[in-house]
Amino acid sequence: MSYLKVDGITKRFGDVVALNDVSFEVPAGEFVIVLGVSGSGKSTLLRTMSGLLSPTEGEIQIDGQPMITPRPEVAMIFQQHNIIDDMSAYSNALSGGINEFGFLSSVLQLQDESEKHRALDALDTVGLLSEAEQKARRMSGGQQQRVGIARALVQRPNVLLADEPVASLDPGSAQDVMGYLRSASKERDLTTFCSLHQVNIARKFGHRFIGLRNGKKVFDGYRDELTIDVIDDLYGDIDTEGMFVSGSGDTRGTVDDAPTTQPEQS
Amino acid sequence: MRRQPNPNRADLYVTTDTTESDKTRGSDPAPEVTNVSDRIVEQFESIKRTRRRRALGWTGLLGFIIFVTIQAFAATELLDPDARIGTLLASLNEFFPITYYFDVIPFLDFGRYISFIRDANLLYDPEIGRLLFQLPPSATDVYAFFFTEFGIFQIFGEAGITLAMGFVGTVVGFPFALVFGTLGSGRVTPFPFNFIFRGTMSFIRAVPAIVWTLIFIPFLGLGPASAALAIAFDTIGNLGRLFVDELEEIEEGPVEAIRTTGANKPQIVFFGMLSQVRTAFIGWTLYVLEINVRIAVTVGVIGAGGLGFVVTAQQNLLQFTNMMATLISIFLLIISVELFSQRLRSRLRSDDVKMGLWELITGFPRRMATSALK
Repeated sequence: MSYLKVDGITKRFGDVVALNDVSFEVPAGEFVIVLGVSGSGKSTLLRTMSGLLSPTEGEIQIDGQPMITPRPEVAMIFQQHNIIDDMSAYSNALSGGINEFGFLSSVLQLQDESEKHRALDALDTVGLLSEAEQKARRMSGGQQQRVGIARALVQRPNVLLADEPVASLDPGSAQDVMGYLRSASKERDLTTFCSLHQVNIARKFGHRFIGLRNGKKVFDGYRDELTIDVIDDLYGDIDTEGMFVSGSGDTRGTVDDAPTTQPEQS
Repeated sequence: MRRQPNPNRADLYVTTDTTESDKTRGSDPAPEVTNVSDRIVEQFESIKRTRRRRALGWTGLLGFIIFVTIQAFAATELLDPDARIGTLLASLNEFFPITYYFDVIPFLDFGRYISFIRDANLLYDPEIGRLLFQLPPSATDVYAFFFTEFGIFQIFGEAGITLAMGFVGTVVGFPFALVFGTLGSGRVTPFPFNFIFRGTMSFIRAVPAIVWTLIFIPFLGLGPASAALAIAFDTIGNLGRLFVDELEEIEEGPVEAIRTTGANKPQIVFFGMLSQVRTAFIGWTLYVLEINVRIAVTVGVIGAGGLGFVVTAQQNLLQFTNMMATLISIFLLIISVELFSQRLRSRLRSDDVKMGLWELITGFPRRMATSALK
């Protein structure tokens, strides 16, 4: 059981302060959503947590061990999915677990049968078992993102980090992908961090929310505490009315959120 | 709402300045022309100045290039050439022999070309071919063709030897080019150390294949063997360089994704980087195969064998008709290799559903007709 602790991390890129003294602790198994406008530090936070970036100050501990370089038990899902276009969905999923194998056996796909079954099982979790042999390049954006999730699952992670996994998808596929992400995380008892900027989707899927603004943590709380005022505070003076029309209905889990962004008549 | 004031203003304008509005009647921005005309004139003058300056610059550059070119002409003795039109015309008659078809129509005598191509086994070697094409077919001869005579290239006579030199060079050079190209990339090997590999490739490129052949003569003698090895060397330099350049273009995303799986360094290189450039690498390799067959002709000229050697031999014998016949064979060989390689590359790169080989052959006339009618 992973226990995740972010202790006062600051990340600077030259003069730009991307993260400013952010701290929080997350018990195992929570589904956390990181909110904030573009440039607020969401991606930097997740990339630092994954070990792709190292913090300028502070420390991140996952399962009691400091996060310095990428580790197999922390998997990441990217906005641009970053799967390998030229390989099949199955080969992509299989590439999640290569850390347990040598170079030759991973290149020639000589992994043992149980590993290959796990790759197919992960594809099944994201609903792509029958498309396993398709080239990733020929798949739709939503399907490609689901292959990305499958790859992350084959890695056998305890922590799943998703950096705006649905930002470049249409609303329908976004709901699908979030649904698969949520069920995979529940099924395998993963501590999940997901950055988003669609507030309605965030409210529908999240347990806990962390809000960032200009690199500072400005909100940390559970669904009931995420009020309109908090959203206003995070996103500034935008029109949040529409976002909450269906958001207040929350856990029903329907896909009928489309009208929330309907423009008002004048 | 916005439409309303417009006619008024135009009206007002007509009363104040009739000539102007006459010219621009019906066009909306008329009222603004007089207001900003000074600024427009100023801008126009500035544009004119810039253009004039640029024209002056181009003229100067052109003059400079002409001046330098004259110097180069002098250095290459083209200003005072030792030209002999008479011998050129005389040799033309040998290059392009004329015969009288039906005793009246004068035309190029293809018969003499074809007879030399057949006599010298330029495109087909009947000794080897007889093993494969005979009636009735003999199983032992077919076996001999493939496994004791190794006839797949040799059946094409001298052209087959040239082709084989290019092919061997590409196949032997490829793995080295892959290793050197990958290790020469700054993303794989950190900065100062990747120059060990890039430098090696630069050195190999600095020496042309024809000179590499001369270098290998003490080792393997003057023949196709040293030529093939020289082409392989040349491939390391050229193909490796193309691989390095291709690897500079890859996206960081998949590399990061593989890093987060906890993969080791060779796995990150293979899954994150090389997987992104696989098709491009295959395409470049086919392109280098084309070039290598051309190089095989050149190294043949200095005596390494194949069609290139036939060209020099016939030239030394002053048999210009035979020489031209050899050049036609070279043309046919190069064109076939290019056609093959380009079809394969476009098939690799296209995302369309791939055509089967049978459809590729049988559908050819129809596709030809559709593209001709476009």
